[in-house]
Amino acid sequence: MKFFVQVMPREVLLDSEGRAVQELLQEKKFPVTSVRVGKWIEVQVDQDNEATAKKMVEDLAQKIFSNPLIETFKVFGDKT
Amino acid sequence: MSRKTQVGVIRFPGTNCDQDVFSWVQREGLNAKWIWHRDSFSDQEFDLVILPGGFSYGDYLRSGALAAQSKAVESLISHVKKGRHVLGICNGFQILCEAKLLPGALVTNQSLRFQDDWVDVRVENTGPVCAKVEKSQKYKLPIAHKMGRFFAPADDLKKIQDSDQVWLRYEKNPNGSLDNIAGIWNAEKTVCALMPHPERASLEWMGSQDGKAFL
Amino acid sequence: MIFSEKLKKYRMNQSEYDLAKKLVGRDLKEIEWPLFSALWSEHCSYKTSKNHLRKFSYRNSRTPNIDGENAGLVDLGNQERIVFKMESHNHPSFIEPFQGAATGVGGILRDIFTMGARPIALANYLCFGEPGADRMRDLIDGVVKGISSYGNCVGVPTVTGQTEFHPEYNKNILVNAMAVGLLTGDEKLALSRGQTAGSLVVYVGAKTGKDGVHGASMASESFGEDSEAKKPNVQIGDPFYEKLLIEACLEVIHQDLVLAIQDMGAAGLTSSSFEMASKSQMGLELRLDQVPIRDSSLTPEEILLSESQERMLLMCEPAKFDQIQKLFHRWGLEASILGKVIPEKLVKIYWHNELLTEIDPDLLVENAPRYDRAFEIPTRRLKIEKQNLNESQIKEKFLSFFAQPRFWNRSPIYRQYDQRVGTRTMKDATQSVAFLKLPSQRELAIAVGCRPEIFKQDVLLGSYDAVFYPALQMAIKGAKVLALTDCLNFGNPEKKDIMGEFALSVASIAEAAKVLDAPVISGNVSFYNETDQKGIPPTPAIGAVGLREAKTEIPSDQFQKENLKVYSLQIPFVTVESNSINIENLRKYLWQILLLGEKINFASSKMVGKGGTLWTLLQMSQDGVGITLQTQNIGQLCQEDFYRVIVAISPEQEKQFQELLKDGLFKNSFELLGTTKNNSFQITQNLKWNLQELRMKHKTSAQEVFGEFL
Repeated sequence: MKFFVQVMPREVLLDSEGRAVQELLQEKKFPVTSVRVGKWIEVQVDQDNEATAKKMVEDLAQKIFSNPLIETFKVFGDKT
Repeated sequence: MSRKTQVGVIRFPGTNCDQDVFSWVQREGLNAKWIWHRDSFSDQEFDLVILPGGFSYGDYLRSGALAAQSKAVESLISHVKKGRHVLGICNGFQILCEAKLLPGALVTNQSLRFQDDWVDVRVENTGPVCAKVEKSQKYKLPIAHKMGRFFAPADDLKKIQDSDQVWLRYEKNPNGSLDNIAGIWNAEKTVCALMPHPERASLEWMGSQDGKAFL
Repeated sequence: MIFSEKLKKYRMNQSEYDLAKKLVGRDLKEIEWPLFSALWSEHCSYKTSKNHLRKFSYRNSRTPNIDGENAGLVDLGNQERIVFKMESHNHPSFIEPFQGAATGVGGILRDIFTMGARPIALANYLCFGEPGADRMRDLIDGVVKGISSYGNCVGVPTVTGQTEFHPEYNKNILVNAMAVGLLTGDEKLALSRGQTAGSLVVYVGAKTGKDGVHGASMASESFGEDSEAKKPNVQIGDPFYEKLLIEACLEVIHQDLVLAIQDMGAAGLTSSSFEMASKSQMGLELRLDQVPIRDSSLTPEEILLSESQERMLLMCEPAKFDQIQKLFHRWGLEASILGKVIPEKLVKIYWHNELLTEIDPDLLVENAPRYDRAFEIPTRRLKIEKQNLNESQIKEKFLSFFAQPRFWNRSPIYRQYDQRVGTRTMKDATQSVAFLKLPSQRELAIAVGCRPEIFKQDVLLGSYDAVFYPALQMAIKGAKVLALTDCLNFGNPEKKDIMGEFALSVASIAEAAKVLDAPVISGNVSFYNETDQKGIPPTPAIGAVGLREAKTEIPSDQFQKENLKVYSLQIPFVTVESNSINIENLRKYLWQILLLGEKINFASSKMVGKGGTLWTLLQMSQDGVGITLQTQNIGQLCQEDFYRVIVAISPEQEKQFQELLKDGLFKNSFELLGTTKNNSFQITQNLKWNLQELRMKHKTSAQEVFGEFL
C-alpha cells in the first residue's frame, strides 16, 4: 500500500527557499505572485488494513517527516 | 609581447568565494574583472571566465539551479560557443552542470553532511584551460561542500570516460562521487570544473600551494 | 483581559508595572505594554546584571570605549581594527536546534557588520548533555548542522570552538556564537547613534512576519512543563539573505551614506528604534504601516515585537536615501522609509495616521528597573590531590578516557564547518588556537575558553581559568592576548547562590582580564538556564583575540618531525602543596613563555588540558609522529595541572633552551619528557601502544552520534 506525504513550511513562518525562487522568477518577469517549496515523500507500507496503515503514516509524518514547529503536512492515499 | 589574459569572475547573489578568486587571479598576474549576474557580457571580452564557489541563491531548489537562469550565464553560453574558456569551482561546477555546459550533476554527499577537508586529486586528462596542471600529477587541495558527489547516468558516464572528459579524480573518495570524479571537462575541452578550491591553496601559509597551477 | 493576566502575558510584575506607571504618569496604553515588556526584559535591559557588569569597565589604549554599541573594538594599529562579540542562543536552540543555532550565528554576524566591519571569522562554544539523554543526539546534530548551514552559506569561516558534554546540560544546552569582524584602512566605523533631526528612519532587509514574537521575554524565563506551549516563537534564518545584507550594508556604510545603523535583534523594531533614539537623545516618528510585511494579518504589536531575521534599521540624510535604495535594489533587497528623526525626545508610533503613543525613549531604555539581587558568594575550592599512579593504573585510566564523551574527537563537528572561505585561515580547528592572516601580514589569534568541570568545584578558579587558559594557549604559539568577549551563562539569578556564582565570576574574570591587560570589550548575559528548578553550572564562556607579529612559523599542536626534544614546563598557578592561587605570578610566567618563544622556535606546543600530560601527548601525536618518553616521573602523567605546557624543540636548540630555562622563572620546573618518534607512543618499556591503533580509536570515538562520518 502506498501513501504520499506532502510537507510544507508553516504558512506563518518564513519560507526562505520559496522566497528565493519567487524573487528570481519575478525578476525574470514571470507573472508569478507566490512560490512555496516543500517536500513530497512516498511511503510504501507492508500492511493490509488501510486505516491502520494510514494512521501509521500520519504518525510518521507528524513525528519524523515533519517538524511541527516549522512545518505542516498532509497525507494522501494511493487513490486520492 | 602577448597581452595579459583577461579573466572575468561572475558574482551571483550568494557567491562567497568571489573575492578569494579575484585576488588569486590578480596574484597570478592576470587581469581580473567582475561580471555581475544581471549583466550580459560580450563573447569577445574574456579569455577565461571563472564561476567561483559559494551558495548562489542560497543553493535553493538545487545547487546552481537558479544561478543557471541568470543573464550572465546566457552570455556565458555564447562565450563558450566562441570556443572561449570557462573554469567552475565548487558551486561554479554545480552551476555549469545546471546550465548544461558540463554533463552530469552534483548531489548530496554520501555522509549527508557538509564536509571541510583536504584531499589529493590526480590529473587524468589535461586541456587548454588550467594548462599548467600536469597529467598524472597529484595536487593537495581543500574541499568544502555538501553537494559535491558527482553523478551521471551510466550512458553519460561512459561517454565522459571514453572521451577523456574526466579531469580530476580523488585519491581517496570523500563524498561518494561516481568513479571518484572530482573534476570534468566538456567534450570540446574548453569548459572545466572541479569541486576542490585551488584558490584556497595558493599561498605558502594556506597549508598547500598546489592550487597555483590551476591558473 | 484582567490586569493580573495581562501582567502574566507581558511577563512583568506588579512593582515593574508600578514603576512604568509612575514614569509615564498614567496607566499604560495597550501598545505600551509590549514595549515595556520587551525593553524591560532581562534580555534587553540587563536589569539583574548591570550593576555587576560595571566591573568590566577597564580599557586600554587599544580599546576605545564604545560601550552600548553592538560589539567592542580593538585597534591593532597598522590601520587594522577588530570588532568582536559572543552571544548566546541557548533557549531557542533547545526548542528547535537547527533554526536556533542558525539564527544565533545570523544574529551575532549582524552585530559585527552593523558596525561596518566585514565578518572574517566565527567561533562557537557549545555545551551539551550526555549523548544518551533525551533528545540529545538530535540536539547535537541539529545545532551543529544549524551553525554549519548558516555560517558556510553566508561565507564566514568557523575557525575554532569548544564543545563540552556533561549531564548538567541535559535539559539546558548552551549555544554561544562568536563573530570577529575587520575594518581596514579608513573604513568607517558605524555606530547606532549620531543621527540628526530630519534624518530618515529606514528599514532594510527581509520583510516582517510573526517570527519570534515575544522572543525576548521568553528568553528571560526558565523552562518548565509548559515549554511545549511556547512553540510558535521559532525564528527562521536565511543565510542567503544575510549574505546580501552584509554586502549591501557594508557598501552603504563605507560610502558614508548612513548616519547610524543597528540590527533588529531581540525585540526587533522596538529595541532598535528606542535604543537608537535614546542613545542619540532624539525622538522618532515611526509609521508601522510602512513596515514591509509578509503577512497582512500582522497587528501593530506584532510588528513592534517581531524577531524576523535579517533586518536592519538605519538613519540617513534625506538626500542620501535614493542612493541607499538603489544600492539595496542592486543586491535584490528593499529599503523603506518608516519615518524621521525629530528633535523632541519622543518616540511617536503611528498606524495609518493614528498616533498610537508618544513616549520618551529614555523611560524604556535608561529607566528600566535595576535589581541588586541578594547573593551569596560560593566558597567551594578545588582540592588538588597529587596523583601518584603506577603503570597499570595509568593504563587503566588512559584507556577509560576513550569512551567518555569529554574526550571524544571533535573533528566530526568542526569538519562540518567551512574553515577556509575568505582565504585568511592559517590554523583551523585542528589546532587549539585559530590564526587568520591579516592584510598587514600579521596574524590574528582566536580562542575560546571556560571549563565547566572546574566551575562545579571552584568558581573562582574556573573564572580565572576561563581567561588564563586561552591566553596561555595563545602565548605558547607566540601570540599576545589583546581583548576578550564573554557570554555569561547562568541559572536563575533570583536564587542567592546562583547570583553569588555570577557576582564572583564577573569580578574574577574582570580581575584576570586586567592582570593580562586584555579588556572585556563586549559580551552577553544569559540567565534562567534552568529546567524544573535545576540550573546549569556557572558557564561564563570567554572569547579571546590576540595578535602575533613574529615572522616565524606558528607552532603546530601536533608533532611534525622525528627526533624533536619534548619538554614540559610547569607554571605554579595553583600549587598542589598550598592550593593557593597567585594571579600576579601567572602574568610573569605568561610573559616568560612569550620571550622564550621569541628566542626558541617551538616546533610544536600545547597546553596540558583534560586527561593530563598523557592525553595531551596523544593529541600531539595525531599526525602520526608520536613520542618515546624518557622521564622516570610517570606518577602524575594523568594529572590535570594548572598549568603545564608541552613544547617540542629541535635538538640543535636544546642547549640554548636549557640555558634560557635555567636563567628564568622555570629554573626549577622544567623537565625533558622524551623524544618524538614515528608511530610510537611509549611511556615505559612495559607501557606502550601502537599509535596507529590509538589514533583510530580516538578518531572513531564520536561515532555513536555522528555515524561513520570521519
